[in-house]
Amino acid sequence: MAGGRAGAQLPHLSKMERVVVSMQDPDQGVKMRSQRLLITVIPHTVAGGDIAEWLIQKYCLSEEEALHLGTLLVQHGYLYPLRDPRSLVLRPDDTPYRFQTPYFWTSTLGPATELDYAIYLAKKNIRKQGALVGHEKEHYDQLHRKMNHAWDLVVVQAREQLRAAKQRRKGDRLVIACQERTYWLVNRPPPGIPSVLEQGPERSSCAAAGRAQLVRTPPADPLLPNVPLTAPCAPTPRPLLSPLASPTCCPGCKPRARSSTGRRWSAAGRRWPGPGSSPPSASRRECAGGPSPDPPSGASPPPCPGPALAPGTPPPRYLNFSSQRGPHDPFLSGCLPSNPWVTDDDTYWTVNAPSVAVPTKLRVERWGFSFQELLGDPVGRAHFLAFLGTEFSAENLSFWEACEELRYGGQAQVPALVDSVYQQFLAPGAARWVNVDSRTMESTLAGLRRPHRYVLDDAQLHIYMLMKKDSYPRFLKSAAYRDLLAVAVVPAEARRRAFPFLRKPPHPSPSPTLLPASTSAEPVTAASDPACGDRGT
Amino acid sequence: MAREECKALLDALNRTTARHHQLALTVGGSADSRALRRELRRTRREAQELAAAARARLTAPLRDRGLGGEERAELERLWAAFSGCLDLLEADMRRALALGSAFPLQAPRRPLVRTGVAGGPGGPGGSARSLRRLAERDGDGDGDADGDDLRELEREVLQLSDMIHDMEMKVNVPRWTVQARQTAGAELLSAASSAGPASVQERSGPCDPSKALAAAVFSAVLLAAVALAVCVAKLS
Repeated sequence: MAGGRAGAQLPHLSKMERVVVSMQDPDQGVKMRSQRLLITVIPHTVAGGDIAEWLIQKYCLSEEEALHLGTLLVQHGYLYPLRDPRSLVLRPDDTPYRFQTPYFWTSTLGPATELDYAIYLAKKNIRKQGALVGHEKEHYDQLHRKMNHAWDLVVVQAREQLRAAKQRRKGDRLVIACQERTYWLVNRPPPGIPSVLEQGPERSSCAAAGRAQLVRTPPADPLLPNVPLTAPCAPTPRPLLSPLASPTCCPGCKPRARSSTGRRWSAAGRRWPGPGSSPPSASRRECAGGPSPDPPSGASPPPCPGPALAPGTPPPRYLNFSSQRGPHDPFLSGCLPSNPWVTDDDTYWTVNAPSVAVPTKLRVERWGFSFQELLGDPVGRAHFLAFLGTEFSAENLSFWEACEELRYGGQAQVPALVDSVYQQFLAPGAARWVNVDSRTMESTLAGLRRPHRYVLDDAQLHIYMLMKKDSYPRFLKSAAYRDLLAVAVVPAEARRRAFPFLRKPPHPSPSPTLLPASTSAEPVTAASDPACGDRGT
Repeated sequence: MAREECKALLDALNRTTARHHQLALTVGGSADSRALRRELRRTRREAQELAAAARARLTAPLRDRGLGGEERAELERLWAAFSGCLDLLEADMRRALALGSAFPLQAPRRPLVRTGVAGGPGGPGGSARSLRRLAERDGDGDGDADGDDLRELEREVLQLSDMIHDMEMKVNVPRWTVQARQTAGAELLSAASSAGPASVQERSGPCDPSKALAAAVFSAVLLAAVALAVCVAKLS
């Protein structure tokens, strides 16, 4: 079913729509003219130069920026040129343009469906009396193969829509035909023109982790038949950066780094992810490489990777992550005192136990990487609680912990827990009252009438953000943390023996066939040599 | 016969869906007006009634396991087309809801987009509807007409999606077994007769076939008159 999926509502689209709507203002909008075609006169035409001027005036831009912004509007289909419909650029002269109807705005429709495209092609086929050319003919044949079961519907709808359209006035008919044509030029661009509605793998629900893998895979085979209609996770996954991609930015591309970090922040805020920031996870690799629903057009240049990123290099986020965590990784930088699996010496585990009196230096440093790290470590959490106690805001952390218990605890305890949390933290005269803003408090109190495990989510998020933005940076700058760093122990590296075979032999682990000592010597012989086991019996 | 009835219902549903699509195209644009929204509502209700009737017609024979072979294949084909049409209608209704709430007419939060489309009596539905519309305009209720309309639309959308879900649950017609009867160029065959003279033209063509025909006839008549006058002059 068409209509916005969550991932398809891109923020830049709503910004562009706001610009377009403000252009419609009768007093302060763009100057409108009329277009005259032989007999019909169609109003609401704008000249490219007028648009550029209006943008410069309204947003105080330079001419170049205004032209770029205008071109973006045209490329995303909010404006369309009347004379040369295929060239989607804003020309700062008298070239006439017109606005696209809100029905065809990308945010209303969501990603274009195959059924709609099939109906459009069928209509075009009728209008052109069977003379579809080029990529449209290919698409038509392909859709006929893919959507054979729905072809009756396609044919009937195409005919009926043309018939319904005939009842309009001539001017309206022309305008609507142009609008539809523009919409499909933007959503199914002819080969050779990059699609501006590319979301790329990092925009989709699958994490950007998959993208680092995609760089090496070759582009999809254009002769592949029977590509399934919808990909399993990404809305429009595309074949991939080929190694021959030019690193220069194509005009329609938007900076990706900013929004992807924005998404990571929101994911961290909302979903309490596992330790640390989002590490690349192997499980997500298969999602992002899904098949493309569009017929792969071999000649189209691959999507632009963002501001001048050389192909094959991972994005800066990964470089930062790797450089920050490199020294902490036991495989990359070795572990002190020694790797227990190698030397059989488990000092490493005892020193890094979850609750230990004096944490190691590496561990204390890791608390500075992210708030989630600090909260995930029991020792860190305890020290943070002590610090909050000195700042008289320890109830925040206790409230957060109580909410976590509610979320992940048993269903039977939910009402009792909700009650106790309310009495302790949220009631007006409570002993440890947490400072939640009025709107959240109202919605929480309203939800408390029907308690379930997620009623306190909003309040918990508010307190979490408060701690993260406020107390956590103060903790990192505080004397307490610096003392911890100073006191933290750095275990000495174990002495390497010169001759590995001189090391004391490892403890023989108890053999599973050994019965407890009450039964006699038989099992020992049985364990040692199964061949002579019969001797023992 | 039952099948003919079903086909007729389905055709009517398709026609109404197409009309609804045409109307929904202009919501939020310069042709948007209370009349348009009313027309949209009327078309929508009509489509829903037709859908309910068609569903009642089709469900009974399909659930009857005794039916076999050719009949069943035919009914399955109709069913696939019917549910596809309902999906299109639902999608259009959702979009109309989104657009209607984004561009309210009563207390306009933002100006309508000037798209160059001027609706009016020439709009889809023809002159009979426009007369009815003019008569209705006098009884235009005030108050929160926008809000009511949108709430109603929302309810109808939910009703329709419930119906679709219900249909899927009751009748099991796997889509991949349906073989459409129409081939790849099928729309051209009958469309060639109907869509000829009034087809939408690209802007570049300056001449209109009907106008060219009229001009040719006129010039032929003129020539004939001139020839007759010359003959009369010669004879007299």
